[in-house]
Amino acid sequence: MKSRISTRFIVFVVAVMLLLSVFGCKMEPEDKVLQMSTTTSVNDSGLMAYLQPEFEKATGYTLEITSAGTGAAIEKGRMGDADMLLVHSKSAEEEFIAEGFNEERIPFMYNFFVIVGPPEDPAGVASAVTAAEAFQKIADTGSLFISRGDNSGTHNKENAIWASIEYDPTAQAWYESIGQGMGDTLTMANERQAYTLSDKATFLAHENDLAMHLEETDDMKNTYSMIIISKDRFADSNVAGAQAFVDWVQSDAAKTMIADYGKAAYGEALFFNMD
Amino acid sequence: MIELNDLIVQAKDRVILDIPSLRLTKNKRYGIIGENGSGKTTLLRVLAGTITPTQGQIKGIKRDETMGYLPQSPYAFSFSVMRNISMAFDHSKLGENQAREMLKSVGMEHLLHSVGNKLSGGEKQRLGLARVLAMPREILLLDEPSSATDIRGTDIVEALLQDWFARSDGTLIFSTHSPAQALRLSDEILFMEKGKVIEQGDPKELFENPQQEETRSFLSHWRL
Amino acid sequence: MELINSIFDFIFGPDPELRQIIAVTLRMSFFSTLISALLGIPLGVLLGANNFKSKPFVSRLVNTLLGLPPVVAGLVVFLLLSRSGPFGTFKLLYTVNAMVIAQVLLITPFVIAMTANLVGVNAASINETLAGIGITGMKRLKYFLIDYRIPFISIILAGFGRSIAEVGAVQMVGGNVQHKTRVMTTAIMMQTNMGRFEFAIALGIVLLLVSFLINSIVNQFQKAVGDD
Repeated sequence: MKSRISTRFIVFVVAVMLLLSVFGCKMEPEDKVLQMSTTTSVNDSGLMAYLQPEFEKATGYTLEITSAGTGAAIEKGRMGDADMLLVHSKSAEEEFIAEGFNEERIPFMYNFFVIVGPPEDPAGVASAVTAAEAFQKIADTGSLFISRGDNSGTHNKENAIWASIEYDPTAQAWYESIGQGMGDTLTMANERQAYTLSDKATFLAHENDLAMHLEETDDMKNTYSMIIISKDRFADSNVAGAQAFVDWVQSDAAKTMIADYGKAAYGEALFFNMD
Repeated sequence: MIELNDLIVQAKDRVILDIPSLRLTKNKRYGIIGENGSGKTTLLRVLAGTITPTQGQIKGIKRDETMGYLPQSPYAFSFSVMRNISMAFDHSKLGENQAREMLKSVGMEHLLHSVGNKLSGGEKQRLGLARVLAMPREILLLDEPSSATDIRGTDIVEALLQDWFARSDGTLIFSTHSPAQALRLSDEILFMEKGKVIEQGDPKELFENPQQEETRSFLSHWRL
Repeated sequence: MELINSIFDFIFGPDPELRQIIAVTLRMSFFSTLISALLGIPLGVLLGANNFKSKPFVSRLVNTLLGLPPVVAGLVVFLLLSRSGPFGTFKLLYTVNAMVIAQVLLITPFVIAMTANLVGVNAASINETLAGIGITGMKRLKYFLIDYRIPFISIILAGFGRSIAEVGAVQMVGGNVQHKTRVMTTAIMMQTNMGRFEFAIALGIVLLLVSFLINSIVNQFQKAVGDD
């Protein structure tokens, strides 16, 4: 036997909940929100979380960061789901610019890729002087190598290195392409005790039993750039907010923060400012 | 002799069967009558062993392949009628002829190749009867064996049971909604109400001269 | 229309990669479904057809396992098979076998729950009827299995659907390794991460087509068995 009171009560509770959920969210004025699309490597390094509070305090903008693989991160820009990009894949960036999404890419920061692998280093990578030489040693010994295989900045760099020694590893049994982000690639490399190319920040932040065998060679430089999505493409792109970030991140205060990042945890800087 | 002593069946907080003492002689036909909820089904279940009484004992009943029990709405499986019958055999190698004979005895031989679960309620009931009779039984417990069948079906069932009793010399204990059926089919009638056996005795005697008030009241609703 | 053309090209064209991905997917799903069915249906019948003291607890346990997130199941299997885990020496990680193990963990509770619910509806009547002709205990199992054979096929198909659509666990324990453990769902995820949304959708459509095809075949089989 349902009492009429309880049915009305239920309707009342549901109505209150609906009203609360609609009006309860804090509505930010849209132009104070900056949507940034970046890659998983950038996000996984922890740099953005580190910079975000300072940026928001200094400029009054709210920063909303989404991260994905390089391809998807750039695609968000194409689809108008971001006001700016922060990526590190020169060829993909230039393609994006050529399509008219903005006039320029703004390189502002760099670090180095590293070649990591099993501590015993069966391929002798540690004795190489360039990445190209290291890759040749890996190919010669047929040592297991895990490739990101996802057209990311890291993957493109890896391909460039193979190209520089005119070697195509794709059909080799020791070469495994997995189509995943840096963290997952390192996990698999760790499980299989294999070699892989990684950015230093993600490697240091990742728990594994691999060792860094080669770092800071010229052919392993990794450049980060910003691209503001132009109003010509998407009229409601928050160009002002994006410009505020671009200006802030090149300010002295931000540069100091970037240069300091990682020193406490790893004893060395993970990122370098471009001058 | 089947003996029930101090038998109580309790479900949740209610007593649904309360039989201080019951004696049933073998090789007789017993008809149990009473309203819905009077405990007929519970008594049959206790005799069959599908319910364990809360207290009390039962003596004189062997729950092996010599006992057959037919519940009120027997389940018909989703395979052929023939298989539904032959499954009662230990080795299910029942010849088609034998199955047809069983089905004939319940008036359903045209349904030999039908699927069990597509039968009507009355047909399922008669199928259940054919199945339980497929093996030789010394004691048959039937819960309202013709409740879902029409008049013709009821005649078939009753004729079958009379025939079975005559040939096998077993014990038949059945419940029924119809006092008239009890009168036709039993050597002794048990009248139940509220979980108790109110009266037990010769059918004609019980109907013409009920001893208990409750029996009289129940029978007054029936015209024979 | 371009999309349809490219899908067509991709399935039947010279590049064997998609066919290979489909083959790995079907191999994995076949075994996951088979093992889950072999484990889940008998256990489900035992659960649904019987009353025992710990039944409410077991039912609750099964229902809880139903809510096990695939990514958690994947993580558990990953930790077990990892080189630093108890079963690392078997080198099962990043193989199709590992994916099957994780999926069995996910699909078996589903099969048990659906079977128990299905069988529970008429269990009392079946039990009573069988008891009446002297069939009790484990001997009943056979009749439950045969009686419900048609609905069981539907349950198995549903289990298959879960297997072919699953991505969290197989990504974790399979690793999406090209030519080896890349299945439809992990390929779709990879293409999405690479920003190739149209291609990802195309793969999704192919996945649905494969699933539809298998469903149709099994349904035909079901109808044939049903008319026996």
